[in-house]
Amino acid sequence: MMWSEKYRPKNILEMIGNEEAKESFVNWLGKWIKGTKPLLLIGPPGIGKTTISLLGAKQFGYDMIGLNASDVRSKQRIQEILGPVLGSAGIFGKPMIFVDEVDGIHGRSDYGGVEALVEILKEPTVPIVLAANSDTSDKMKAIKKVTTTIKFRPLPPRLLRFYLEEILRREGTSLKIGNIIKLVIDSRGDMRSMLNSVQALVTGFEPQIDRSFETTNVEDSINAFFKAKSPDEARAILYSLRIDPREKINAFYSSVITSPISKDLLKEMLDVISEADVLYGKIVRNQEWRLLRYLDSILLRLYKEGVPIRYSQFNLPWAMLNRLRWDGRAIKELATSLAKRMHVSRSTFSTFYLPYLLYCIKNKTLEIDLADSYNEIVQKEMASIK
Amino acid sequence: MSWRSIPMKFPGTCIVCKKKVEVNEVALWAKGLGIKHQACAQVKELKCVVCEGPAGCPHCEFADDCDLNRVSQLCICKKCNDDKEAFSLYQKAVSKRFPMLQSN
Repeated sequence: MMWSEKYRPKNILEMIGNEEAKESFVNWLGKWIKGTKPLLLIGPPGIGKTTISLLGAKQFGYDMIGLNASDVRSKQRIQEILGPVLGSAGIFGKPMIFVDEVDGIHGRSDYGGVEALVEILKEPTVPIVLAANSDTSDKMKAIKKVTTTIKFRPLPPRLLRFYLEEILRREGTSLKIGNIIKLVIDSRGDMRSMLNSVQALVTGFEPQIDRSFETTNVEDSINAFFKAKSPDEARAILYSLRIDPREKINAFYSSVITSPISKDLLKEMLDVISEADVLYGKIVRNQEWRLLRYLDSILLRLYKEGVPIRYSQFNLPWAMLNRLRWDGRAIKELATSLAKRMHVSRSTFSTFYLPYLLYCIKNKTLEIDLADSYNEIVQKEMASIK
Repeated sequence: MSWRSIPMKFPGTCIVCKKKVEVNEVALWAKGLGIKHQACAQVKELKCVVCEGPAGCPHCEFADDCDLNRVSQLCICKKCNDDKEAFSLYQKAVSKRFPMLQSN
């Protein structure tokens, strides 16, 4: 289990930092009556905007309905989701709406999402809490006009260290002071990222704190993943590989497909890669980026101890790639030369004429005077005819 | 960059608090940077939430990486941090200072 979830505070007092902001939040929610302006929580990622909303809802007996920017992209979608809740709140118990990453609603694809949201915010019938990392965009200005804003600040590094040491104490483990300081500084006030990093370090492989363990080196990471001695180590390596998800899937595919593994294992691994590919396709198609967090947990199923898989950039064996490159070039030249004689295009010649031509040469029903440089490729192609 | 303490010949705006600096008031000036009140020039320090004293920012191990104007303004001083019961002390201090944060 991720430490960021395991140690997610159980009550507001367990959260550290931003005490004034938390007090303002509790004050707002505690005194909420119909018509009270919705709340906009602004602050960098990983400092507890979602957590305080969850805990506040729990403390005041609300049922929190969590939404993401991708859920409120269009006017129609907003009305579909929020309409029933706002129209007949009684049926849903005591709902509180939480919309995360509202600053993510932008661009032409929003189809009136912000406008529809602002209309709802003007006449709230249930508590509405919005969260955003920044409030500088024009669309945020429209939202800010109809909400009360509470700013969450990054946590002081000393306070992060204090919390980190408490987590390590609860886990019954420790880290060198240099590692702790590096982790705290690298997190830049982001508690979640700090906990993820420290978990990777403690449960994963040997600490390499002198350099950041977020890496973009695909080859080293894929090789280290398959050489890992435990699933925890493999997870740490996989999570630290920060590259484009599409590149990540492709790197695993090309490595698996070109490695000498059994057919059953290959089938099993291709199933996993296919599942990851389907998920990523869905994320891109529906712009549901929140689902991206599940990609690594799917790819982690590729880990099997001791499998002889090594990184390969290309998804075909080297010998075949070589043949495609060099023989392909020779066939192209041959086709260009003969296509002219036949008065057809090179493509038509290669597709329709060349196979018959090779048959005829093989059956010795046709003698054709070819340059020496072409003879080699013709012999090779004839050898491959069954 | 050197800040010079001089009496103002012209009115100006303090670059820290954005309030006016009047003519003849003694303030700090640096070429190309502007002016600031003497009070605004004093070293800013966070407050310890436990003992409510200064958090000791000038001597903090994170002094170079902590943007005092940006971060949450309550921290913990070294002495309170080194206490064996530091976390529970922190929680007690917060609940005492911010009673609204206590769950029912």
